[in-house]
Amino acid sequence: MKRLAISKKTKAILGGIAFPIVLTGLWQLFIFAGFSSARFLPPPFKVFQKFVILFSDPAYSQHIAVSLQRVMIGFFIGTLAGFLFGLLMGLSKTAEKIFAPFFHAVRQVPMIGWIPLIIMWFGMNELPRVLIISVAAFYPITLNTFSGVRNVPREYLELASVYGFKGLTLIKKIIIPAALPSIATGISLGLAMSWSVLMVAEIFIQTAFGVGTQIQKGRDRFDIALVIAGIITVGVLGYAMTVLVQKIVQAVERGRVISTEK
Amino acid sequence: MSKKFIQRLGLKDKLLAIMVPLLVLAAWQGAVSQKLCSDLILTPPLTLLNTLVELAQSGDLTLNILASLKRVMIGFLLGGTSGFVLGILMALSPFLNRIFGPLIKALQQVPEFAWMPLIIMFLGIDESAKYFFVAIGAFYPMVLNTYQGVSGVPEKYHELARVFDYKSFRYLFKVIIPSALPSIITGIRLSLGLSWMFVVGAELFGSDSGVGYLMTWGRAVFQIDLVMAGLVLVGVIGFAMNLVLEIAEKRFLLWREPVDGRPA
Repeated sequence: MKRLAISKKTKAILGGIAFPIVLTGLWQLFIFAGFSSARFLPPPFKVFQKFVILFSDPAYSQHIAVSLQRVMIGFFIGTLAGFLFGLLMGLSKTAEKIFAPFFHAVRQVPMIGWIPLIIMWFGMNELPRVLIISVAAFYPITLNTFSGVRNVPREYLELASVYGFKGLTLIKKIIIPAALPSIATGISLGLAMSWSVLMVAEIFIQTAFGVGTQIQKGRDRFDIALVIAGIITVGVLGYAMTVLVQKIVQAVERGRVISTEK
Repeated sequence: MSKKFIQRLGLKDKLLAIMVPLLVLAAWQGAVSQKLCSDLILTPPLTLLNTLVELAQSGDLTLNILASLKRVMIGFLLGGTSGFVLGILMALSPFLNRIFGPLIKALQQVPEFAWMPLIIMFLGIDESAKYFFVAIGAFYPMVLNTYQGVSGVPEKYHELARVFDYKSFRYLFKVIIPSALPSIITGIRLSLGLSWMFVVGAELFGSDSGVGYLMTWGRAVFQIDLVMAGLVLVGVIGFAMNLVLEIAEKRFLLWREPVDGRPA
């Protein structure tokens, strides 16, 4: 039984990496056979070499650091604003009636559509980049906080009124802990959106630093190895961030208590 | 979600809901006409309306909308169809799932816009690059939702199909696809929404027609009314596409509550 389980897992892993390896092999063969010039599609080895070169150069880490910082600032602003706005609409029916139709109408415009306008308003600098990243995080977090707060079980609210919880205590002790799973979903979605929009921000709003900028630079110099290396970097970083946030969210959810103590 | 929300509101609430946008519009118009804000920075709503009418009269509006819609349709068909087929194959064959599953998960980690420079290097900056880019956007939600739907077909249905001796195509069209339809339609909605977003992105990147082009051109000649008109068009068309699919979904899936499938 145990042996079966292990072999199954190994099989799954082998199956998972088999295709990428075959793909890499085909990629290499493709070039050996002379179907494509190395200039147009560099061999896998060249891309690996590029990685080594990039990571031994401190400038590349700096590009990564700038991107991460940019996404974190935008994500933080968007999360805070979205959380507060969602909480407000969730708590007050009047606020919902006033803001929700407007919010839903504005949300119809895809993020990318704002780029030309935002550039005209703020120019090609850091502010519009951070702004667009925070708006990307703002939508899912607002929506999920709102629905989390609205769906707090009635019993909890009854219990709270028995204990005489009001105002901030009610929000802090009952509503937020009860809405936490939904808020956490919003935060994961928001982070994914922020990371995705970071690329939009770095590619469309030109800047000297950032991983997206490096990809764009690779295109300008016709350095395909740099472009591919940049794409892989972005993918791995995005994945690492998703996993990290999932872990944090799980930890927070495990620790959440709906407390009846003041 | 927004639709259900509107139905829930009474007349008084509807007035309240209209109040805020109206107030914003009035403040916007007022701010510009009182010279609080230059009309080079913010086009007043009336001028914006005028720009849209002018665009419609000159024929530029239809031309550019049609150009964008054509790109969306071709890209969506390419990406959606391949996602649909691969999703079914992956759900029915554990072998294919083991091969493609991890690869798709890995590729999905890369934000789609990061592919843009590479696509342009390979395909040039013409139509095929735009189709391909839109297809990437349409592909992911379609493959994931089709896979989810088909692998969620209840065991009972499979057994019934065996009893009736349904095989290959009949099995696929009579059992698998109808049962997975709700999930597939969610995939189509997400997929079309992303296609629309990506076509605008592709057009902003470089093109000579389309709604995105209208906006880049407006920016280049510093005509902010064109940029804002483009923004309104992007929102309205995206909303209309979602609405059409929502209606179609209600027609086809009477038994099921529609889900909010809009991408942010």
